[in-house]
Amino acid sequence: MSLFRIFINQDDDDMATSKKVITREEWEKKLNAVKLRKEDMNTLVMNFLVTEGYVEAADKFQRESGTKPEIDLATITDRMAVKKAVQNGNVEDAIEKVNDLNPEILDTNPELFFHLQQQRLIELIRQGKTEEALEFAQEELAPRGEENQAFLQELEKTVALLVFEDASNCPVKDLLDISHRLKTASEVNAAILTSQSHEKDPKLPSLLKMLVWAQNQLDEKAVYPHINDLSTGQLQDPSE
Amino acid sequence: MPTTSSSSSSAASSSGNRQADVFSRLASSDPEVKLKALRYVKNQIIGNRTKKLSFLKLGAVPAIASALSDSDCHNNSSILVQSAAALGSFACGFEAGVQAVLDAGVFPRLLRLLTSSDEKVVDAGARSLRMIFQSNQAPKYDFLQEKNMEFLFSLLNSENENVSGLGASIIAHACGTTVEQQVLCDAGVLEKLVVLLDGSLSQREACLESLATVLKSNPEAVSRFVGLEAGRYLSYVTELTKDRYPRTRLLSCLCLVVIYNTSPSYFLNMGTKSSLVTTLLELLNDPGQSGDEAALGLSSLIAEKEDLQKLAYEANAIKNIVDILKTGSELNPKRLQGLFFSLAELCSKLEDCRCSFLSLEVLDLLVNALRHKNADVRTAACICFRNAARSVKNLSAGRFTADHVMLPLVQLLHDPSSSVQVAVLGALSNIVLDFSSPKSTFIEYGGIKQLIELSKSMDPNARCSSLRALRNLMFLADNKRKELFYSEVKAQGFASLISDPEPSVQEQAVALLRNLVDGCLNSIEFVFDEDGLILDTVGRQLRKAPQAQMAIQGMYVLTNVASGTELHKEAVMQQLFPQPQAESNNFMLKFLQSHESQLRSATVWTIINLISPSSPGALDRHVKLRNEGIIPQLKNMVNDACLDVKIRIRTVLSQSMSFGDN
Repeated sequence: MSLFRIFINQDDDDMATSKKVITREEWEKKLNAVKLRKEDMNTLVMNFLVTEGYVEAADKFQRESGTKPEIDLATITDRMAVKKAVQNGNVEDAIEKVNDLNPEILDTNPELFFHLQQQRLIELIRQGKTEEALEFAQEELAPRGEENQAFLQELEKTVALLVFEDASNCPVKDLLDISHRLKTASEVNAAILTSQSHEKDPKLPSLLKMLVWAQNQLDEKAVYPHINDLSTGQLQDPSE
Repeated sequence: MPTTSSSSSSAASSSGNRQADVFSRLASSDPEVKLKALRYVKNQIIGNRTKKLSFLKLGAVPAIASALSDSDCHNNSSILVQSAAALGSFACGFEAGVQAVLDAGVFPRLLRLLTSSDEKVVDAGARSLRMIFQSNQAPKYDFLQEKNMEFLFSLLNSENENVSGLGASIIAHACGTTVEQQVLCDAGVLEKLVVLLDGSLSQREACLESLATVLKSNPEAVSRFVGLEAGRYLSYVTELTKDRYPRTRLLSCLCLVVIYNTSPSYFLNMGTKSSLVTTLLELLNDPGQSGDEAALGLSSLIAEKEDLQKLAYEANAIKNIVDILKTGSELNPKRLQGLFFSLAELCSKLEDCRCSFLSLEVLDLLVNALRHKNADVRTAACICFRNAARSVKNLSAGRFTADHVMLPLVQLLHDPSSSVQVAVLGALSNIVLDFSSPKSTFIEYGGIKQLIELSKSMDPNARCSSLRALRNLMFLADNKRKELFYSEVKAQGFASLISDPEPSVQEQAVALLRNLVDGCLNSIEFVFDEDGLILDTVGRQLRKAPQAQMAIQGMYVLTNVASGTELHKEAVMQQLFPQPQAESNNFMLKFLQSHESQLRSATVWTIINLISPSSPGALDRHVKLRNEGIIPQLKNMVNDACLDVKIRIRTVLSQSMSFGDN
């Protein structure tokens, strides 16, 4: 993070009305003057791999770079299995896996528990198991709706899927979309990470966001080579 | 919809069969069958209160407990893990579940799991125990026993985060007295806990909770904590109030509230106070347990502290809280209690707060809360009413005396909970001050009768509060209302109130009498009913060397009576100088020498009324007072430190001069 702070501070002294122009040569010199520890970069990469659940890559990276992961890699496998189960629509299986991992997660997180149950209901509806879906809604979800007004509204929305013969006409058809599974999956993923005292988001994307923000700030004061393509990190001259 | 009622009912009954069937499988001798059944129950109840309750009613807890205790399974770690997890889930945030787990006698067995060599078994056992220790029903843990303290430290020192977290939870649950706090501090618990602050999320949370428990109301423990590494950990806890997890923010705030309430000197920084207030206000919006606890935390933070109330008011606390109350979704009783307490604190001193609160059309909200099924909520709403009604402006605008407000308040006088009764009496005491019109709803609803009933309560607080309400009700009341009251209580009843064993009750009873006999001659007559029983009782109490507050009220009763006819004045003289006089020293002399200026003032007032020159017997009474040493005593007091007393004494002495006394 110190990287970006230096960029901005250096330009603060220059109060001229016209923008300062910094050539590529000057800019690269400044960049090279910034010392970054290799270990910090590696930690950043490891943090990304662990949080996103790339267990094999994390394992290899650990062996190659000697960077220690922040948590036991075995727990990543468990977490990914849960995530995958939700992504594949096996919600009941996912719930059992979470409960094996740590029974407190769903016992102390009513919203997540409701969303998983809701996803189960959606899967039943998707499979056309209407009766089972109704029984499930009645037995498992209705009591949650009684406890919480917001859950009740969500439940009503979900049950509305049953009313439409052709789901593509249904105003709540988004629930049947695969993106809804992904949303639920990432919610479980985040909860498991939190229970393991781990940040639920990797640090790298927010650093990149900060880079873009810092460049925007700097644009008001100076003309300099930009990083526009975040995947390559190549500097681009302002004229290009 | 493509379904019929018959099919859905058959589906429901099939699930009932499943539940019944699981019990035979739980008891199975085949470990595989047993394990599956345990997992099934566990997965059914986690996150699901309804299922917890229904399995509980079917007797699942003892069945699982016996699976855990079954010696055949002692080496089957899967069965141990699953049964411990299931029991832990029953105990998680579910009081009936905690009770059932404890009743099943499985607690020692869970403790033994901690010594297992299998990490998973230890985890499951520690988690379940932590759930139990989050409840008030958890067994008391005696820190004073050496072996218990050793065990506690073995937990705190554990590498396993669930086990060390359990250690912290035990402290949070079981440490109650100053002695226990002291013992824990001496054993080095603070040093241990601050290390855990750096641990995992659950360790940190348990640790913040136990810190709050160990530091609460114990300045010595607080100064020890703050002294650790030159205040580093106080700053650290302060930092944690900005943590990204709401629960961590809340628990660190609650810890700071405890430290602040114990030793305010560590919070000289206005910025810290104000950020504490705003963080708690933000946390109120958390829909879960953290929001519930934030409400009580806020009320405790601002209790009786005008500067913090002001900060909270400026941070828009009133609007925030009222918005939450108005959301319409059902709020946890604990949260409601905290929100009403916070509002009550805000309205306790600052008139701006009261006006802004009442301008938000909150009376209906409060009235609904008066009917809440939870007694703590009703109490909090009453206290909120009481403090809001301190606003004279709103009171005299008649905001509180409308029927739909008055009826539920009067009904609460019959409440089964005595804390509700005391609280509603407090509210009514303030509201009745506005009963300027002779016809009032309160009286129509039988309020006076009920207040008299409560003045005979077993609970001294209820007696005291009901008399205070009556006292306010009789303040400048017309004769009709006084008659109504007196006809209910009668001389006997009044005399026994004045002779109550509790001095605070006596004081209120005599103060009530003072208001009753204030005003026209008819009012004075009350004390002469039944051969002057009431006046005799007051006189007897005054001669018993009462506490100053009681004596002040008593002397004003005599002052008011002495403002009446010749007969009334003579009756007062009878009380002041009864025949034969037992003690050599008259109590009036003692009162005049009291440190309490109000008592001196009240006594001089009585004398002024007794020797007022318009009455024929004044000269004789003056002679008596002079011979008893009262007038000479007053002459010694012409330069009394209290201006009021000084002026009254000059009045007496100038009257005295007119009787030829120099």
